[in-house]
Amino acid sequence: MDMVLEADRLGKRYGSTWALRDCSLHLPAGRIAALVGPNGAGKSTLLHLAVGLLKPDAGAVRVFGRSPYGDTEGLADIGFVAQDTPLYRDFTAAELVVAGGKLNRRWDATLARTRLAQLGIPPDRPVGKLSGGQRAQVALALALAKQPRLLLLDEPVASLDPLARREFLQSLMGSVADSGTTVLLSSHLLADLERVCDYLIVLNAAQVQLTGTVDDLVAGHRQLIGPRHDGGPIGGVAAVVRASHTDRQSTLLVKTDGPITDPAWTVREVGLEDVVLAYLAEGNAQTSHTEWGVPA
Amino acid sequence: MIWLTWRQHRKQAFFTLLAFAALAALMVPIGLSMRSTFADLGLAECVRQLNEPNVAAAVREGCDAGFHRFSNRYSSLNLLAVLLITLPVLVGLFWGAPLVAREVEHGTHRFAWTQGVGRTRWALVKFGLVGAGAVVLAVGYGLGISWWVDPLTQTAQEGRLGLIVFDLQGVVPIGYTLFAVALGIFAGTVWKRMLPAMGITLAGFIGVRAAVEILARPHYQPARTQTFPIEGDGPPEISRGNWILTQGVRNPDGTMIAEDTRIQCPPGGKGPNGEACGAELGIEPGAYNWQLYQPADRFWLFQGIETGVFVALALLLLYVAIRRVRRIA
Repeated sequence: MDMVLEADRLGKRYGSTWALRDCSLHLPAGRIAALVGPNGAGKSTLLHLAVGLLKPDAGAVRVFGRSPYGDTEGLADIGFVAQDTPLYRDFTAAELVVAGGKLNRRWDATLARTRLAQLGIPPDRPVGKLSGGQRAQVALALALAKQPRLLLLDEPVASLDPLARREFLQSLMGSVADSGTTVLLSSHLLADLERVCDYLIVLNAAQVQLTGTVDDLVAGHRQLIGPRHDGGPIGGVAAVVRASHTDRQSTLLVKTDGPITDPAWTVREVGLEDVVLAYLAEGNAQTSHTEWGVPA
Repeated sequence: MIWLTWRQHRKQAFFTLLAFAALAALMVPIGLSMRSTFADLGLAECVRQLNEPNVAAAVREGCDAGFHRFSNRYSSLNLLAVLLITLPVLVGLFWGAPLVAREVEHGTHRFAWTQGVGRTRWALVKFGLVGAGAVVLAVGYGLGISWWVDPLTQTAQEGRLGLIVFDLQGVVPIGYTLFAVALGIFAGTVWKRMLPAMGITLAGFIGVRAAVEILARPHYQPARTQTFPIEGDGPPEISRGNWILTQGVRNPDGTMIAEDTRIQCPPGGKGPNGEACGAELGIEPGAYNWQLYQPADRFWLFQGIETGVFVALALLLLYVAIRRVRRIA
């Protein structure tokens, strides 16, 4: 399969703190991938490494087989919308389209103008005076006008109200559906992206917790309810992701590697959100215990 | 890139030109009035005569009186001259410091640097255009002030090498302005917020300017010394326009008796108690006045050296700034 983005033991450090560590992942072409993790998990760092804003401190990241840091030519294939959709606030949307044309060799100004016209965005008003949703749409239109093969969006909907979120994601999906553009968009809320993504990368505490297609992840995890579990192996279970116990009963979220036949366990299917939360909760517990210097 | 730079900074450019025009509107009438007074008092002729050897004492006294009248009339302008010194650093504060710092503060660098233009080119074009604009501004400023301040320096004993007037005219404003802009850009790449970057620029500019002015400039060329006797007829033989670094009175064996002063007595003059002139200071017979100075004709040499120092500093700062830009995310 064609890999658009590959990270191999990628790491980035700010001072003595690793913002991203030992990050290895692959993003196949044509996917709409969600990059999910709590605030400070390293999502922005990963995206900045992928778009060449940052230089890796360890490992390597490759986009279309090229190392993005300092690679101006490679930038042509990557569309990037940074967090809080920064744009020159005193520029009008029309001027930003012109600016994009001056800054890029491949630039579809008509596409940008058509999109912005359809969305009813005024061309002659400074973008600083537009609403957050409109500004996000302008940023997206500018990124799409580059006709990128990979579109990276950093928390694109975080500052939008629910209606604007839905509109933004709908218009995003509508525009990448035909072009085959690979999309990687980050959010600290899975619920924002669950409806649109088919691939998932979960990042927590500077490390990749989970990666794979949504279908595989849902199919590969189960919830088990049964008698109190002491940690012994269970047939068909590859790993216990999260366990909670009462005196007599255990509830486990497990990764499966085969059918679970033990009749002691009640097996339930799980939703994507359950899986993600289980992994995030696990990562959180580990870190905070280490930071406080107490045993887990 | 050029279009973008112009679009981003055109408002700033407009206001800068407006301020420049307002300043010119204030300065030109004052300059014209100074020049007409200068001509009315016949000072141009005085300057010419005083530069010739063996000036008659009467001419010298008459001219000094004229210079005094002129100085008294326009002495308040020295304050204005001091204020004019601050103009280059203002360019650094409002053009240099925000160049990178504002982009990073607003996050727009993530937009600009992820388009199809590499950041090195972005930095080169931006720094280059803003630097060129600053040079044009500085040339206008240097020429204008040279014209404006000329009557003031001609009438002053110290001349063009004097501490404040030297900094205002000729080519040094170009060096100062470029340095201020480069320092602002550099500070913006290190502190990445506008206000800290502006503060650092201001402090750094004042520090470097003061250090160069006080520590380096007097030594651009070996200073010359001149001596003249304490007892003499009329004012001492000091060339006008020399920049006197230190002076004092020395005994015949060379020991310094009184620093930062000079003594002038009429021939055969006696103190109140009938002692020899200056005896109360411990002056022995044969003591003389001593001065360490930079001659007036080194003005352009010193201008060139000083400009070179600041342009070199500016280029160094810009080089480091470009390197730093590559590492900002």
